[in-house]
Amino acid sequence: MELFERIATCTSRGKINQNSPYPPDLRGQEGVFELVRDALAGGVNPNDILTQGLMVGMNDVGRKFSKNEVFVPDLLMAAKAMTAGMDQLKPAFASGAAVHKGVFVVGTVKGDLHDIGKNLVRMMMEGAGYNVIDLGVDVAPEKFLAEVEKHPGAIIGLSALLTTTMVNMEATTKLVKEKDPKALVVVGGAPLTQEFCDKIGADAYSPDPQGIIDWLNARGCGCSCGCN
Amino acid sequence: MAMDTMTGVERTARILARKPVDRIGLFEHFWGDTLALWQEQGHIQPNQGMEDHFGFDMQGFWPFNAVARLGFEPVVVEETDETVLRRDGNGALLRTHKTHDATPEHVDFLVQDRAGWEEHIRPFLTPDRARINFEGYRAARRKAAEQGRFFFWSGVNVFELMHPVCGHQYMLMGMAVDPDWARDMVDTYARLTVDLMDILFSEEGKPDGVWFYEDMGFKGRPFISPDMYREIIQPGHRRTINHVKAMGLPVIMHSCGYVEPLVPGMIEAGIDCLQVIEVKAGMDLLRLYRDFGDRLSFMGGIDVRVLYTNDRAAIDRELSAKIPTVKGNWGYVLHSDHSIPNQVSYDSYKFFVDRGLELGRYL
Repeated sequence: MELFERIATCTSRGKINQNSPYPPDLRGQEGVFELVRDALAGGVNPNDILTQGLMVGMNDVGRKFSKNEVFVPDLLMAAKAMTAGMDQLKPAFASGAAVHKGVFVVGTVKGDLHDIGKNLVRMMMEGAGYNVIDLGVDVAPEKFLAEVEKHPGAIIGLSALLTTTMVNMEATTKLVKEKDPKALVVVGGAPLTQEFCDKIGADAYSPDPQGIIDWLNARGCGCSCGCN
Repeated sequence: MAMDTMTGVERTARILARKPVDRIGLFEHFWGDTLALWQEQGHIQPNQGMEDHFGFDMQGFWPFNAVARLGFEPVVVEETDETVLRRDGNGALLRTHKTHDATPEHVDFLVQDRAGWEEHIRPFLTPDRARINFEGYRAARRKAAEQGRFFFWSGVNVFELMHPVCGHQYMLMGMAVDPDWARDMVDTYARLTVDLMDILFSEEGKPDGVWFYEDMGFKGRPFISPDMYREIIQPGHRRTINHVKAMGLPVIMHSCGYVEPLVPGMIEAGIDCLQVIEVKAGMDLLRLYRDFGDRLSFMGGIDVRVLYTNDRAAIDRELSAKIPTVKGNWGYVLHSDHSIPNQVSYDSYKFFVDRGLELGRYL
């Protein structure tokens, strides 16, 4: 199997490293850690490892997740495998040899302490090649705004689990759009609908993380990763 | 309006067995601040509960404490005007909101793998009498009997017992990476539940039924696959449910989120009724009734977001679209698809109950 395909497969299947017992059918085989390590040592372009290996694998698991072909444990393991590769690409990101697609600022809105959905989005967006800034939970609109000011062009991701807190998405969206009308605000969470997204002036809603990634890819993220 | 001809206990027992009744059942959950507001507004007397006021058919009590370190006083690690961060008796660091009811934020866990479980939790999960609130169970059981209400033991089953010690992420990754560890947790908690039930029921008497809370889904999907459910969780469900059924008691299982793919496995495990059928997560009461109504009773599935509108016509449409169908097999209890928050007015909820029961009458 070709190198990038192997990295993608190990990422998608959640094969972190050779010692990892998961998945059982790949026991004893090299995982993302070894494949990325050896690829870098062999002079493979870090950006190619990212875009043709890790991102392809995360895209694959994200699509399967959207179709209920895999479930949260599979997604979590894929994210761990991806991290084993991404950690080794950090020097390449610092030097510019690998580039993020953009900055994605994510958080659960004010008044809401739920974080499982938000964490899944964070992992998937990292896997899609974004530099993710996770503001955590119970995040005030002003905190999102501060990140927009620090990172012009950043995409804002708002999460909420409760009908009682999703209303706080509107305040955040308004504040961000007042500062930068072109800023993209995407929303997700159990009680949300497309109608609510439209009503508060957010740009996109998806019931799962892959939907947001597909929406951004369809817009063209303006990078050189080939997503356009 | 026709009169009720059955008590709550008679009606609910028959609904759970899908046998003829006078009307559909009635029960509800509320967010904590709803009762306070409705009392403050004068709709409900200060010392009156929702069960008494609305005439619910059921009443439950949660008698068990499954925390690992009994008697451990949670340690406040950080406190702000709005939140408080505490380390609890399971070694979990959780942040809760002071101003409203909600699931706490999972900040950190001492247990992240099998070693942590074996060191911090497993040795402490003994069937200690101190885990049981005998007095509360006795009083609630007596009150339910006086009011003719179906009295249920209320508590969590293995899925909801595991994640408080290690959080959803470590629990779900553990199921993938170290399924034997997950199975050990399931077995340990199932055994503890059964042992504690034996102690309680032998001393205080059995309830009329058992209610297990198991939040196994979220928006559009369950946390785990049906295969993983059968391999890891179902043995715990079978063990606890078989024990309860051997006593002749019916079992209601609650799950938030979209759990439709798990329902066949839950039926295999022996549940009699599925609650709460969360519409916003993708659950569809009418589809469930069509596919499983011959084997399963239902409670819930009425979109609470419609009640938020406080629009009687919209509430009527939601009830009329579902109740006449799902009452068909005698196996339905009127309940929202989650809990009633305080933005639902008292009058709206009262209308929901009155209209729902009107549609749900057989005699």
